[in-house]
Amino acid sequence: MPMTEEQRARLYTLVAILSLPTFFVLWEIVSRSHIVNIVLFPPPTVVAVALWEWIKSGQFASDLLASATRVTAGFVLGAAAGIFFGILTGQFPLFASLFGPIFHILRPIPPIAFVPIVILWFGLSEAGKVFLVFWGVFFTVWLSTHLGVQKVDRGLIRAAQTLGTPQHRLLSEIIFFGALPYIVVGLRTAVSISFYTLVAAELAGAFAGIVYRIEIAQQNMQTGQVMGGLVALGLLSFLADRGFAAISQRMVWWR
Amino acid sequence: MMTLHPDEFTGETFSATAAQDAVEIDVANVSIVFDTRNGQVVAVDRVSFDVKRGEFVCLLGPSGCGKSTLLNAIAGFERPFEGQVRVLGKAVTAPGPDRGMVFQQPLLFPWKSVRSNIAHGPIMLGKSRAEAASIADGLIDMIGLTRFADAYPHTLSGGMQQRVSIARALANRPGILLMDEPFGALDAQTRVIMQENLLRLWSEFGTTIVFVTHDIEEAIFLADRVLIMSASPGQILRTVEIRLPRPRSLDLLLEPKFMLIKKECFELIKQESLVAFEQMGSR
Repeated sequence: MPMTEEQRARLYTLVAILSLPTFFVLWEIVSRSHIVNIVLFPPPTVVAVALWEWIKSGQFASDLLASATRVTAGFVLGAAAGIFFGILTGQFPLFASLFGPIFHILRPIPPIAFVPIVILWFGLSEAGKVFLVFWGVFFTVWLSTHLGVQKVDRGLIRAAQTLGTPQHRLLSEIIFFGALPYIVVGLRTAVSISFYTLVAAELAGAFAGIVYRIEIAQQNMQTGQVMGGLVALGLLSFLADRGFAAISQRMVWWR
Repeated sequence: MMTLHPDEFTGETFSATAAQDAVEIDVANVSIVFDTRNGQVVAVDRVSFDVKRGEFVCLLGPSGCGKSTLLNAIAGFERPFEGQVRVLGKAVTAPGPDRGMVFQQPLLFPWKSVRSNIAHGPIMLGKSRAEAASIADGLIDMIGLTRFADAYPHTLSGGMQQRVSIARALANRPGILLMDEPFGALDAQTRVIMQENLLRLWSEFGTTIVFVTHDIEEAIFLADRVLIMSASPGQILRTVEIRLPRPRSLDLLLEPKFMLIKKECFELIKQESLVAFEQMGSR
């Protein structure tokens, strides 16, 4: 007998609910079945215990704080600089001619490739790690702001001019808000980029941080801890993205 | 043609305190030329006319006749290739709040509510937020959108958005209101209601209006004077004084004297439209 719409919807929900538990159960069975080496491929229960030990030891909190601080500082600085230069190059052709070629040469170089030179410049300091995140965020936000400014309806600017908006207030009153939807999209993309660059920065050498902990655990063959670190990183990145999605809806409040 | 010649007034001595019959806008021998890939195109060719304080003038012509370009020159968005536009004796060089403008698209600021859109102009001119909001609320009542004061533009219909756009342009109490086919994108029913409302606002504000349209009926219904423009190069072909009584209501559209004027204008426009059509085809 064919299913009704409602029955089908219920089936899909059920499958979605069962998806993760099934995955974990299969993983547990495979890990304990001696098909694979349990040391290299620990079951989820071992990963969970490792995670719990990590949290209990107090190291998780300090690692989380270290990573979150780096990624936030780099993101905020990169976003602020990206918006500033994006408005400048988007609105004023002179600045576009001045900075455009430089930015377009630097932008395609993957930020991770800057790790060696950042170590030379900054050593293993926090500044170097923040710089890497900044670098990754800056170009994405700059480009989306630049394009956003250029896409602002010229009619809106004309309307503002006939209403007596002085030239120097067009940027803050009209162009910034007109470009805001594009800026927000750039910022959201930059959130995930900031985590990529965080990984590179911490792998290059750090003294605390979630990715640093993953690397230490790898050197000690604590595979459960490695996987626990990945879970924590995934969760953190996921929460950052969702959190930003919620904020970004308020940033374009009129939609 | 016009009884007043622009040269009868010397720009420098002319002041804003002049009599009712004073010339407010003086378009003197204006030509506007565009650079295109195929060379220079004359969009407006040596056009002269003037508009008296409080007058309602329509620029009527087929599309591509340069009527919008001419309006943009009065607004200060286009610089004449030769000739000059003067407002109250002063040469126009840039857009300004003394010349409010309503465009074919409402061009409301999407991030501002209806009230904030209308309050924008007064705030830019240095009014306090409270003063600007009360000006806006007054206008919102006049255009019958009291319930929508806090709504954002995209939630309104096209006709409502255009009403807000007119209110926004009037909020600075400009001496001149320039309107570039403001009702062109609206459906026929909405359009006639908007026309009637515009006349009401015009009589309350006493603003000088220059209104661009390609709709003959609209031009005759609204205007004191219709300037019929010819197809490219844009020139004023004829001036028709509309001596229909005011206040005008929509019933006027069916009266014989209205029909008569319409027929006269139609004959003129028809020839021009054919010329324009031919020229477009041959390009």
